[in-house]
Amino acid sequence: MQLRAEKLFFRAVLMLVCIAPGTGICAERPVVEIEIRDHLFWPSEVTVPANTKVKLLVFNRDPTSEEFESYELNREKVIMGNKKAVIFIGPLLPGVYPFFGEFNPDTAQGKIIVE
Amino acid sequence: MLLTSVVLVLREVLEASLLISILSAFSGVLGIKRSWIGWSLLFGLAGALVYSFAVSTISDWFDGVGQEVISATMQFLIFLLLLLFAFLAVRDRNGQQGSGRMIVPVMIMMVSVAVAREGFEILVYLHGFSADLPRFMTIVSGAVIGACIGISVGILIYYFVSALQGRLLWIAGLGLLSLVAAGMLSQAVLLLIQADWLPSQLPVWDSSGWLPENSVTGQLLYALIGYEATPTALQAALYFGGLFLFLIIAVLSVRPGKQYP
Repeated sequence: MQLRAEKLFFRAVLMLVCIAPGTGICAERPVVEIEIRDHLFWPSEVTVPANTKVKLLVFNRDPTSEEFESYELNREKVIMGNKKAVIFIGPLLPGVYPFFGEFNPDTAQGKIIVE
Repeated sequence: MLLTSVVLVLREVLEASLLISILSAFSGVLGIKRSWIGWSLLFGLAGALVYSFAVSTISDWFDGVGQEVISATMQFLIFLLLLLFAFLAVRDRNGQQGSGRMIVPVMIMMVSVAVAREGFEILVYLHGFSADLPRFMTIVSGAVIGACIGISVGILIYYFVSALQGRLLWIAGLGLLSLVAAGMLSQAVLLLIQADWLPSQLPVWDSSGWLPENSVTGQLLYALIGYEATPTALQAALYFGGLFLFLIIAVLSVRPGKQYP
């Protein structure tokens, strides 16, 4: 009986946390996966919803390191060879947000389309 | 290829170069030997090496945002050390004994952390091309050019600040450092937003059409004052809060009635 009460309490707390605006700890973040292969982004264009925080998973399949960079998104992160990086972006207004690989900017180009 | 490495290395070197040049100008008026610069570069490079070896492991910390957390911590540390520097320097200027020797380790620590943070990225970048010798040579040439431009800008700033007399030097020097400090704080906030440790918001303004961050002026202002074209409210608030705090500390450390050198 007590266990049940405890469970209920935790659930209530959890719900409060989820509802509390701005915290968004429990909010389901859409996950978008991008790969780096031969200094190219695959896919090079991804579409994400507006006004939503998105979890970007960037897999670097190259043996060499790369830096994910975007002035428009205000993001910058070094991704070592054969490693994965987590980058949170947004909430964003609708528009096009280019990103590039700072170590290989001639080829590694992509954009995030926010709709 | 060449241009990429010039720009990348310049961007990284500029920040540390500015910090060293302003602190060096202060060393001049405070009568501190400049041997601290050598130690800072040495410790900074050692730190950069350690960081670049450990970055694969660090990146996996905290559910994949270890890099952001470590980098933000380093920037926050530089911010705190800048506040401490302002306090110690202004007290020293007033002829207070004792604080003078403490200022040297503060400067060494500050610059070492800055060099380690920036140097790490250059090392990782260079290492990626080390297998391909002809390309590597091109990259290294670009890196040297970029570093030289960054150092030259630092030397220019140094002579500009040093040429000022008395009170003016203090105002310009501390003014520049306050902007660097505020920039550090705002960058730390940005990294924690990227890591989802701090809530993200829509930008409070967008000056990218007027002054893009990737323009030459934008890059320079980014290194010097932490310019952001699209900051969030939290970032902007902490930027101006940091600026205010730095200036308050500098002003409050002044002891009235003392003779200034």
